[in-house]
Amino acid sequence: MPLICKRVFRQIFCLKTLFLFRGVFEQLLAEIEKRCLSSGGWASGNSRRAGIETTCYALMALHNRPSLVRDHAVDLLLRTQNPDGSWPAFEGDDPEGCWTTALTSIALRSIGAPSGPIEKSIRWLLNNQGREGHWFWKWKFRTVDRAVQFNPDKYGWPWFPGTVSWVIPTALSVIALKQSAPCCRTEPIVNRIQLGTEMLRDRACPQGGWNAGNGIVFGSALAPHIDTTAIALLALTEGNDTTVVQGLNWLRQACVDCSSPYSLAWSAIACAVHRDEALNHCIAGLGKRLSSTDAISNIETLSLAAIALKAAEGNANPFEEVI
Amino acid sequence: MNRRDWLTAAAVASGSALSMMRLQQHKYSRDLRPKRSRVAVLHTDQYSDKLDEVVYDGLRLFNLNVRGKSILLKPNIVEYIPGKPVNTDTQLIGAAVEAFLRLDAASVTVGEGPGHHRDTDLLLYETGLSDQLAHRKIGFVDLNRDDLIKTKLQANYSDLGHLWLPRTVLASDFIVSMPKVKTHHWTGVTLSMKNMFGIIPGSRYGWPKNVLHWAGIHESILDICATVRPHFVIADAVIGMEGDGPLNGTARRMNQIVLSDDPVAADVMSARAIGVMPEQITYIQEAARFLGNPRAHDIL
Repeated sequence: MPLICKRVFRQIFCLKTLFLFRGVFEQLLAEIEKRCLSSGGWASGNSRRAGIETTCYALMALHNRPSLVRDHAVDLLLRTQNPDGSWPAFEGDDPEGCWTTALTSIALRSIGAPSGPIEKSIRWLLNNQGREGHWFWKWKFRTVDRAVQFNPDKYGWPWFPGTVSWVIPTALSVIALKQSAPCCRTEPIVNRIQLGTEMLRDRACPQGGWNAGNGIVFGSALAPHIDTTAIALLALTEGNDTTVVQGLNWLRQACVDCSSPYSLAWSAIACAVHRDEALNHCIAGLGKRLSSTDAISNIETLSLAAIALKAAEGNANPFEEVI
Repeated sequence: MNRRDWLTAAAVASGSALSMMRLQQHKYSRDLRPKRSRVAVLHTDQYSDKLDEVVYDGLRLFNLNVRGKSILLKPNIVEYIPGKPVNTDTQLIGAAVEAFLRLDAASVTVGEGPGHHRDTDLLLYETGLSDQLAHRKIGFVDLNRDDLIKTKLQANYSDLGHLWLPRTVLASDFIVSMPKVKTHHWTGVTLSMKNMFGIIPGSRYGWPKNVLHWAGIHESILDICATVRPHFVIADAVIGMEGDGPLNGTARRMNQIVLSDDPVAADVMSARAIGVMPEQITYIQEAARFLGNPRAHDIL
């Protein structure tokens, strides 16, 4: 089949798929709104407290939908920011910052929130680094602690301050920094984006894709995870990068048999950013599994599915870099 | 020996000495050792429906009073690697559910908070646990995303002071640790006490719960188990893992299920089954001072 026909076919398929899921999309948003807490925000799983990560995804899903629920969620995020600019894991948590800081910066930027809290969070991110960034731990990982093979010169961000870098917090932090408008990127921002990007390349699994942290532990290759790979690919947008190509190749294969709407949603969001043809497959799979939104108890999954459906239509993808 | 080697050796020696000194101080507030510890080793050579009877008969040996109690089964579900015995077998989990219901438990819930995998639903599907739970009509709680309660730790080996713990764990009347018997490259072995790492919520501490690694794995195991001591152990040693565990080791057939009302006695027995000397495992040694008895009084 000529290439042009293939492209037209894909377009028609994509439009048809999205048309079919238009109703699902509206149901998703209604369900997300319905499940908000009276105090504002959304709770994760069985929790009764508003989770910052959960609230960020729900807010991104509702995006520009005018509603009181959305406004309360923004208020929640603004009032839970720690004095140092970071965010805790949930409302009522100890005032220690963590990985939710990068995600909240992305969520607030996506809805056009005031820049003050975002700038403060960026400063916190710049001051925070994986423990291997310190000279002593670099030395330790190079000399006495060689079980986990990685290059400690390439560090990113930890889940929690005082621990080493991991793929998801690093990818989210790189995205948050990349979303600072290119005109205003200071040297520290440019340097940390570069370092974080190199860290992600260094930790990739030998077969492509990403596990939670290192690709090799005690000489054995670890298997990649779908969601982690998709999130890493959101941070690495250079299409000609070998690590990106290998990651996308692995992700395309993994999505074929994937039964989880959570992983399919992350994959669709990543494929939309990379304009990858696996997007159609992910959206079709996602739609099939979302036939009953009642069966999905997890707000993160519902929200990510809504973000994915929106991104597939070519509308605002909150994880996309500002160019 | 050059200067760099000497410095390295000195740093390692002082690190180990400091670590040993930290562990050897009394850091527990309660002596939780029972007067009598009982262990039963059940023999079975396969995972099948027959486990329902095997486990039920095994539990009856202990005369457990679980009538009207809420039971939490905490299996070890880490990662799905085809062909590798990484996780507690789902048939065994199903059999334990059935056995506790037959013993008149008010409710049985399965709960786990996988350490590296954020997509718990996918992991349950891949391991077959979701099918097993659906078949038995049993609920699952993702401990990574449960309601959390700030809890003071009942020992102070890790210096963490407190941890946010899942309400489901704290509210359960009877906690059963169901480890897969495996070697572990950081701690020597992963058994019923190390399995309790899985109650620490990822939504608060991340994936993995790296805060615990930096506070010391042995130290964190002791603090967690001092605070939430499993009431019972059902260890899956039918097929365990040796070598490069807990993920990439090789299968080791032992044809055993270890039951115990004492996690220390269970871990000592299970460690020996996989060919590891429990005396060499720091956290088991220390746990024997206040969490349980290393030697069972009764082998049932």
